[in-house]
Amino acid sequence: MGAELRLTDVRHCRGGREVLRVDALDVEPGEHLSVLGPNGAGKTTLLRLLAAVEPPSAGAVTVDGISTSRGGVELRRRVAYATQRPGLLSTSVRRNVELPLQWRKVPRKLRRELAMTALERLRVADLADRPARALSGGEQQRVSLARALALDPAVLLLDEPAAGLDAQSRSAFFADLDQALADRAITVVQVSHRADEALRLADRVVVLLDGLVHQVGTPETLNRRPADASVAALVGYENLVDVVVQPDGAVVVGRAPTGLTSDRPAGPATVAAFANGIRLVADDLPGVPVRISRVSPGPGHRAVTVDGAVSLLAHVPVHAPATLTGESARVVFDPALSAVLPRL
Amino acid sequence: MVEPLHEVLARSALVSLTATVIASLIGITLGTVLALARVRGRRLLTAVVNTGMAVPTVVVGLVVALLLWRSGPLGDLGLIYTVRGMIIAQVLIAAPLITGITMAALQLLPPELPDQLRSLGANRIQLVLRMWIEARLPLLAAAMAGFGHAVSEVGSATIVGGNIHGQTQVMTTAIVENVSRGEFGVAILYGAILLVLAFVINGLLASIQQRGASWAQS
Repeated sequence: MGAELRLTDVRHCRGGREVLRVDALDVEPGEHLSVLGPNGAGKTTLLRLLAAVEPPSAGAVTVDGISTSRGGVELRRRVAYATQRPGLLSTSVRRNVELPLQWRKVPRKLRRELAMTALERLRVADLADRPARALSGGEQQRVSLARALALDPAVLLLDEPAAGLDAQSRSAFFADLDQALADRAITVVQVSHRADEALRLADRVVVLLDGLVHQVGTPETLNRRPADASVAALVGYENLVDVVVQPDGAVVVGRAPTGLTSDRPAGPATVAAFANGIRLVADDLPGVPVRISRVSPGPGHRAVTVDGAVSLLAHVPVHAPATLTGESARVVFDPALSAVLPRL
Repeated sequence: MVEPLHEVLARSALVSLTATVIASLIGITLGTVLALARVRGRRLLTAVVNTGMAVPTVVVGLVVALLLWRSGPLGDLGLIYTVRGMIIAQVLIAAPLITGITMAALQLLPPELPDQLRSLGANRIQLVLRMWIEARLPLLAAAMAGFGHAVSEVGSATIVGGNIHGQTQVMTTAIVENVSRGEFGVAILYGAILLVLAFVINGLLASIQQRGASWAQS
C-alpha cells in the first residue's frame, strides 16, 4: 500500500540561498506524481527531502503523518529512492539487490527470491552474477530500479530514471517501468526535465521553476492550459508569441487575426503554440503575414521557420503542398494546440 | 652474545605487524570520522594528521622515550626499552599515514554514495561498513603503507627500544649496529632479509588488493 506524502511550509536553503519553497503539496497514497522542471529548479532537493536523507531547513515533510526529521531508519526503509546516477556498489548485480534486503533482516532464501524476481521484472536476471559496475548505463539503471522495487516500498522516488540513455533504450526502459509498477499500489514521485517523461506516468504534474511551484495539475491541464509562458516552454510548446486580446475577445498580432479568441481581459498577452498547431495558409487569406525563411525535413513532417510579424516554427505534414524559402504566406493558430497566457 | 637471526626477524615482524594492526584500527576509524562526520575542529584535526605524516620517526621516538622514561609522566608503566614501548612508537608513526590515506580514500568515493546507502535503508553502522568495503583497495594500501613505514624505521626503535640483544633488537637496529662495527656483510644479509620480509607481506596484501580490483572491473 502506498503512503501519503505531505509538504507543509517547506523552505530549504543551501549555502545561505533558498533553493526550494513549497507552501503545500500533498501526494495521495498510490498516486503517481511527476515533478517537471529545468536543471537547478530544486527537483532533486525535493526528492532528497521526501527520501529523508536531509531534513528541510524549515517546515514539515511527512510520510503517512510521520515527520521525516524524526522517522529515522524505519521511515527511510519505507521509501525507496533511485538516484539519478544508478550508484551501484562494487559487487555483483544480485548482491546489489540483496544487500538492502539483508539490512532489513530478510532471511537469506527469501531475499534471493525477491532479488531474482525484481531482476526478472526489469529483464536483467541474466546479469545477476556479473559485477554491477561492468554493466552498460541502461543495464545499471534497470538494476538500480530493480533494487528499489525489490524492497516493496510504500513510496518510490525516481530521479531522472532514464538519464543518459539513448532514445530507444529510454523508450524500452519506460515500457518496463510501466509494467513493473502496473500491479503495485505504491506512491511514486518521479522528477524529470523532459515533458514527455514527466507526463507519461503521472496522475498529476508539479512544475518547479527556481525552487518555486508554478503549477500543479493533470497532464491534460498542463498540455491545454499551462499557467504561464515558462510552464508552456517546459511542457514543450515550441512557439511563444506576444499578442493583444481585443475587447471582443479576438487575439491579434498588430491588426492581423490569429484565428484565436480568448476570454482573458483585453490587453497584452502571450500565445503559446505547438509547432504542429501552426497552419500556413495562402497569402490572400486572413492570418498573420510572414515570410518563409527556412524549410528542413523532420521525422514525419517538414520543419518550417517563418519570420515577419512573428517568428515561428511550424511542423507541416510531409504530404502537404511544398513550401519554398522566400515565399510569403499567412499563419493562423489551431485553438486546440495553442493557449492564450498572461504576458510575462 | 649474538642473537640468532630468526629471533630478530620474528621480533621485527611482531613489532611492526602489531603496530600496523593497532594503527589501522585507530587510523581507519579516525580517517572515517574526518571524512564523513561533520565534527567541530575537523580542519584542525586534518592539519594535525597531515603534519603527523611528515614528522621524522626519530622525533616520534624522542617524544615517546621522554614520556616513557623512568622519570617521565608514564615512567611507572615500565615500557621504556621494551617491545611494547616500541609498538607504541610505531603506532604513532603509522597511524597518521593510515588516517590520511583512509580520509582521502573515502572522500574519493562518489559523493552521493552515503545518501544512496541511507536511502537504501542502511543504518549508521551498515553505512560505514559498506563505505569501507567500497574503499577496500585504498584502505588495504593504507595498511601496507603503514606497515612499510613501521618496519623500515630505525630512529624510534633505537631510542625507545634501546637495541638490547635478546630483548628489543629488531632488523633495522641490528643493521645499524653491524654497520657501526664494520660488519658490512652481516648488515647486507640483514638488509636483504628485511627486504624479503617486507616483500612477502606487501606482496600478500597486494595480491589480495589486485584480486579485488580485477574482480570489480571485470
